[in-house]
Amino acid sequence: MHIIVCIKSVVVDAPRGKIVRTADKCALNPFDRPALEVALQLKERHGGSVTVLSMGPPTAEPTLREALAVGADRAVLLCDPALAGSDTLATSTALCAGVRSLAPFDLLLFGTQTSDSDTGQVGSQTALMLDLPMVTGAVKIDGTLDCLSVERKMDGFLEIYELTPPAALTIHSSAAAPSDPALGNIAVAFDEMPVETVSIRRLRLDPSLVGEVGSPTRVLSMKPIKKNRACRWIEGTPAVQADALVRQLVDAGLIG
Amino acid sequence: MDLLLEEKHRAVRQSVRRFCDRELRPIAAQIDHEARFPWEVVEKMGRLGYFGIQVPQTLGGAGLDAISYAIIIEEISRVSAAIGLCVSVHNSVAVYPIIAFGSPVQIERWVPSLARGEKIGAFCLTEPNAGSDAGGIEATALADGEAYRVNANKVFVTNGGIADVCLIFCRTDPAAGHRGISVVVAERGTGGFVVGDLEDLCGMRANPVCSIRLNDCRVSRSSRLAGEGMGLKIGLAALDAGRIGIGAQAVGIAQAALEEGVRYARQRQQFGVPIQRHQAIQTMIADMATQVDAARLMVYRAAALKDKGRPFSKESAMAKLFASEAATHVTDLAVQIHGGYGYSKSYPVERYYRDARVTRIYEGTSEIHRMVIAKSVMGGS
Repeated sequence: MHIIVCIKSVVVDAPRGKIVRTADKCALNPFDRPALEVALQLKERHGGSVTVLSMGPPTAEPTLREALAVGADRAVLLCDPALAGSDTLATSTALCAGVRSLAPFDLLLFGTQTSDSDTGQVGSQTALMLDLPMVTGAVKIDGTLDCLSVERKMDGFLEIYELTPPAALTIHSSAAAPSDPALGNIAVAFDEMPVETVSIRRLRLDPSLVGEVGSPTRVLSMKPIKKNRACRWIEGTPAVQADALVRQLVDAGLIG
Repeated sequence: MDLLLEEKHRAVRQSVRRFCDRELRPIAAQIDHEARFPWEVVEKMGRLGYFGIQVPQTLGGAGLDAISYAIIIEEISRVSAAIGLCVSVHNSVAVYPIIAFGSPVQIERWVPSLARGEKIGAFCLTEPNAGSDAGGIEATALADGEAYRVNANKVFVTNGGIADVCLIFCRTDPAAGHRGISVVVAERGTGGFVVGDLEDLCGMRANPVCSIRLNDCRVSRSSRLAGEGMGLKIGLAALDAGRIGIGAQAVGIAQAALEEGVRYARQRQQFGVPIQRHQAIQTMIADMATQVDAARLMVYRAAALKDKGRPFSKESAMAKLFASEAATHVTDLAVQIHGGYGYSKSYPVERYYRDARVTRIYEGTSEIHRMVIAKSVMGGS
């Protein structure tokens, strides 16, 4: 079983609202960790290999090595100056080409969203471009290699799908708790294992479809939102305080 | 800091921090209060390689470098210094001397299970009448056929209550002075191997520090590390490496105290403003941050020298001396920032304050380290 997991090196720290993509300010997207974990569990059950695929600048490399440290077998980084400024459509276009270059595969996994841009679009778009059957927000994957049974929770319902690989899934973060990498595996991932860097030329990708030129979306400006929080003291005995608190929450329309 | 660190080190730090914040932080105050060793977490650490950090992977270890080792000890100690102590002592003064001085047969016999954390190691040098004066130990290991008959009374043994493999410093030739001291490896469960009561300590309470006595304990001659009379050399080499661990531990405690000091200074209001706005608090925070940074750089430098195979004895002594004194100072200031609350067990700085104190005492007191450094600076006489 060959499973490809698309992962992203997300920005975790933007001092004074400014994004500088240095390795120390980036980390593996927390929503991708459960997807990677699911892939590793499937590999343990069915055998095969796990490839992690990412698009990003060279500073994304340590994130791919982290994935190698927890058990991925191969890491591929789509890295090209022409990819800079890609929106979700251009990102999906690039990932689609990357996935094709890694075929054959049985499963293509994504996290449900990223913790920095939070669009939740890339997984579905990429699956669509690849013409793959897809289930979003999967919480459980069972079945055989020929016929997968996938559970998805939505609006209080549990949906069960059957899929024939190759298929794509976005994995809900409740699907699996990410495991810790063994310290020795960190050493191997960083000292010995390769991260393959792939340019768009190698993917035979039309530069006009990716990067800023290939992105219909324009972000006009970005600024941090200031949250106005006020602390209000409620005085009196605990019973009086509780009554007052409930009243205030009802008045604010938060409960009741 | 990044001058010395690679991406690998950042990944190690992130991984250890995530693990410790999840597994150790919720129980750190409780295990200190109850003086309980948290096997449930330590077993997980064993599976992840924390007990064989610098042991080659062929022997079951993680195969990391000394800088990674310092980072790991620092990060564990930032959350629970007592567990940082357990891991530091096990790695640097129990496992390391076996690898450095043991025969291939001995390494194969003890290291893999130690490196996987299936067995815990201890270093038994200190006695009631011999601490800083290591050459003054009274323990003996006298030839008795194919074995040694060991009699020893070792005190303040870190990890003592849980240790399976103990390096015992003893006199194999009582008439030969310093040159008559050797190291034998004694295993718990051997006849005459007695584990004493746990010490009721001021800090590091989750570490089962206790005495270990060997009463006519028969230990095979094949359990001696290196030649007879090599004991002090083994001890000094182990302590050179151990100092990096204790220095890193002190940095971790100080870092935790700094973080708590900053957090509290932001929250606490006096005279109508958060106390961080008062210059008296700002100078404390500035001093704390500077001391932590300097200590960390010194520890990493000693580790970097060790990684490069260059002499690091003076540098590790300086790092341990400075970091341990910085830790006691920084934790003291953190308590001061907290005022009365800092003296209460309700806040973690009270624990950091107690934990920091012993770093100036064990694995060589500050005074002994000053002797080592002075000798190195001025030359021996």
